[in-house]
Amino acid sequence: MSITDTIAYWRYRLVPDHIVGEILAKRWIDNAIPFAILVAVLVGFGTAVPDFLSLGSMTALTRQLGEFGLVVLAMTIVMLAGGIDLSVGSVLALANITALAMLNIFGLPVGVACVITLAVGASVGLVNGLLIGYLRLRAFLTTLVTLIIVRSIVDMLLLKFAVQISAGFVDSAVWDFIGDGKVAQVPFSFALFLLIAIVVHVVLSRTRPGWHLMAVGGSRRSAHNVGIHVRRTICLTYVVSGTLAALAGFLFAARLGGAGSDVGIGLEITVLTAAVLGGNSLGGGRGSAAKAVLGAITVMIIINGLVRVGAGSGANSLILGLILLAAVAIDVRWLKNRHKVLAKVYVSPAFRSLPAAPGTERDSASPYALNDRLRDVSPVGLNQVDGPEDVILDENDHIYAGTRTGDIVRFFAPDYTQQEVFAHVGGRPLGMAFARDGALICCIGGMGLYRIGMDRQISKLTDETNRTPFSIIDDARLRLADDLDIAPDGRIFFSEATVRYEMHEWPVDGLESRGNGRIICYDPLSNTTRTVLRNLNFPNGICMTQDGQSFLFAETWSCSVSRYHFDGPKAGKVETVIPDLPGHPDNINRASDGTYWLALVGVRTPSMDLALRMPGFRRRMARRVAPDEWLFPNINTGCIVRFDESGRILDTLWDLGGENHPMITSMREHRGHLYIGGIFNNRIGQLPLAGADPDWTGTRSYWGDEK
Amino acid sequence: MSFFFTRALDSFLGRNESAITVPALDGALRPNRRLDDAAGRIPVRAPGALAVGRDGLMVSSGSDLLRLPSGEVLYRASAEISCLAPVAGGIAIGLDDGRIVIVGGEFDGTELPARDGARCPTAMVADGDALYVCHGSAQNPPSAWTRDLLERNASGAIWQMDLRGSRQHRIAAGLAFPAGLALIADGLIVSESWKHRIVLLDRTTGALRKVIQSDLPGYPGHIGHGPSASSGDGYVMAMFAPRNQLVEFILREDQYRRRMMAEVDPRYWVAPSYRSGRSFYEPLQGGGVKHLGILKPWAPTLSFGMVVLLDENCLPVDSFQSRADGTTHGVTGAVIHDGALYAASRGDDVVARLDFGS
Repeated sequence: MSITDTIAYWRYRLVPDHIVGEILAKRWIDNAIPFAILVAVLVGFGTAVPDFLSLGSMTALTRQLGEFGLVVLAMTIVMLAGGIDLSVGSVLALANITALAMLNIFGLPVGVACVITLAVGASVGLVNGLLIGYLRLRAFLTTLVTLIIVRSIVDMLLLKFAVQISAGFVDSAVWDFIGDGKVAQVPFSFALFLLIAIVVHVVLSRTRPGWHLMAVGGSRRSAHNVGIHVRRTICLTYVVSGTLAALAGFLFAARLGGAGSDVGIGLEITVLTAAVLGGNSLGGGRGSAAKAVLGAITVMIIINGLVRVGAGSGANSLILGLILLAAVAIDVRWLKNRHKVLAKVYVSPAFRSLPAAPGTERDSASPYALNDRLRDVSPVGLNQVDGPEDVILDENDHIYAGTRTGDIVRFFAPDYTQQEVFAHVGGRPLGMAFARDGALICCIGGMGLYRIGMDRQISKLTDETNRTPFSIIDDARLRLADDLDIAPDGRIFFSEATVRYEMHEWPVDGLESRGNGRIICYDPLSNTTRTVLRNLNFPNGICMTQDGQSFLFAETWSCSVSRYHFDGPKAGKVETVIPDLPGHPDNINRASDGTYWLALVGVRTPSMDLALRMPGFRRRMARRVAPDEWLFPNINTGCIVRFDESGRILDTLWDLGGENHPMITSMREHRGHLYIGGIFNNRIGQLPLAGADPDWTGTRSYWGDEK
Repeated sequence: MSFFFTRALDSFLGRNESAITVPALDGALRPNRRLDDAAGRIPVRAPGALAVGRDGLMVSSGSDLLRLPSGEVLYRASAEISCLAPVAGGIAIGLDDGRIVIVGGEFDGTELPARDGARCPTAMVADGDALYVCHGSAQNPPSAWTRDLLERNASGAIWQMDLRGSRQHRIAAGLAFPAGLALIADGLIVSESWKHRIVLLDRTTGALRKVIQSDLPGYPGHIGHGPSASSGDGYVMAMFAPRNQLVEFILREDQYRRRMMAEVDPRYWVAPSYRSGRSFYEPLQGGGVKHLGILKPWAPTLSFGMVVLLDENCLPVDSFQSRADGTTHGVTGAVIHDGALYAASRGDDVVARLDFGS
């Protein structure tokens, strides 16, 4: 390997580029920026202000935070449904004075006072909700007006009751506990806030009303179209918001016990800042309770920190305003650009140096020398079948093939002119095999491993496996089950070509050439699925060897065939059988003389081999060049080879022009003929084999004559 | 400084100079398959240049000069013929080794040897005793044009040869593979292939007077006078290869391009060619994968066939094409003779004859 290649090899081996894209694809990445800001704020004030992180300071902070956080939650809920509630500050003030009046003047029990206070808040919210939800007024203007009206009511009530309130005294242990008490070293209000935050989180993420709310915020029209009561949902968010703000007011009353005229003034801006800074989108539909908590903590720390640093009240508001502005800007840009960045960084090619390809010169001594032996292929079902990736024949000589439209079609022996849809399975049927009981087992791209009984009953065998420890993407679900074979004891080994891309994106996996594939074992006895081999390069064909203890598998992008021993003395070992194919291998199947057929779907091109050693080049190509213009492995010409377990090539069948059979992804020997499939073809190929056992069938080779 | 910064930013983001957009075939260049549907198809091995002289229509085939349509060999050169031009009753023949020989007519037997900066004759036009010659590159012979493109050379020149006094002088230099030449009153119309444009140069000073056509969708080659049907004036131009997004990208990828030229057989380079898709070792692009046994005509391709008719202002008015799945690729010569358009398809070993007005 040259120095350049060596550097590239280690560079791409040591730096896991693909992780960036995988992290960005996660939903929780939306919390990254708010969390980073919180950490920065904590570190900043922690170092600037002595004792800032002390226990006493933190207790005082959390006591305020309980009330503040509840209001932020209220705002978040409204924002998630696409609205805004500016009246929260006034509602808090109104609740404060209501609670104090109920207790100090009317002497009601704390419980009753609490219920009445919440009811007052809810009714203000209901007014907002009716106006905005049902009459469809603008949320911003409506709540601005409510803010002013409620504030005026508070001022009028203050004029009337202020003296009486300050004269009264509440003698209640419960009231004192609410204001001053602690639950497990945590102030009551903060504990209550955390509890409600958890409830809100569960409701939003796990319950029907929560999903409705998110749906309405995400797209009002779509929510309406799927039958969600949009108006009612919106109205309810304001009621909840009013109630939560009132609860915060009640806690405020319990803590301070005073009815001042400046309670809750300017709160709406602070709360809005907290909600947006936490990462809740102003447009609705994106956000969570966790984000509200993050935002609330951050803003509370900033406010307290600024006071402790000694910034004046004007500077305080100025800084908060600037933060709000920045948060809104980040929110908009992030929302707009996240998927663009993701699209640019997700594809992360790896270094791959393939061994020199053996020649294919016609009439040369190479075992792969060009010939025209495939020219005699005759088409079956020409223009009647779309994309038979794999073909298989049963004991009655009928041909089964999966198609692009998700059918498994059956061509009837002996002339194969009649066909029927044997079963409609959906997805993209790929590799197939017959089980001992005669059922057809099929790998379906995009779905998983399925069983189709001869009574046409379709049943799912498995669509998930154990998740790889510490993997960032969730690779538990099967994405691209490709080919399978069945061990004598009934265990099904199947390949999943890639875990990073969907079925239709398989060329991108080739461009990446990282080794994203795996081989999985499904055990029907225990109904369990386990991954047995990981990090394979587009594992494709799988074929049981004759000893019943191992199987051969082909890796398309690394142009090799290997053997895995799952039982016997070498159990768990992988041996390379053919390291240097001149093309990209696809399916492997048994031949009648104990050897194996292998389909090469395409030929390695020198330009692509070079590109594989230059991952940076491929990454830039993926970003700059349209996918239809990408450099591809040449899959327009393929061939069929026959090899034995030692890896010796015994036979090669070519057809350069591909007139009768353009593409080869699989082949099946059956009663002296070879049946050929191709994933982009409109036909199945049939080729008489000279010298092959005319009675040999695959089913009998696997299961004997018992059936 | 800021210039370099802009360049670096552009190259990182793929903007301006680094953009790899290829113009769509539109207007007069709207895709068609008229070259494939030509009325006459005369098989000729590797037809290069076409010319009309005293002996009628002639075509170069490797190192042979043939008469069309009979196929009679008129002259056998010692090297591959790269261009032809009728001159004073005879014919000037540009050879791949850089020499120019004149056969027949007043200057029969004249040989102009190759010299530094003038060893890549790609196009010639005679005007009285003067012969104007385009030399595509200072580094490569005409047959190595792919390498010249990938080396991103702009070392072409235009020379004026005085046939009577054998005085030679260079008119213009630093051109990006001039491959076509036509004379007008006081100017030279030159197709500058690697910049995919047609320019007008001053006939005596060689100064650039005007960029007539820029950002063409292919690499323009031969330009000849061709009576357009209406006004009796105009030009016929052949584009010998298409531009391709992947190639444009690779032209900006210095490391890959250098290694490809060093390590890969030239036949299998990712580069335009007269004929692509013959070997499975050639690069394939995603859109070129056959579906249901069919190669899509709009598939990305490294070769195509294209003859464009230009009006007297060099604006395209009509085109004759062979698309990705066509059979008339790599048109290196085109001439209008006897009311018919003849196009030499170097890639598919055929001269196509398209009859006008029928």
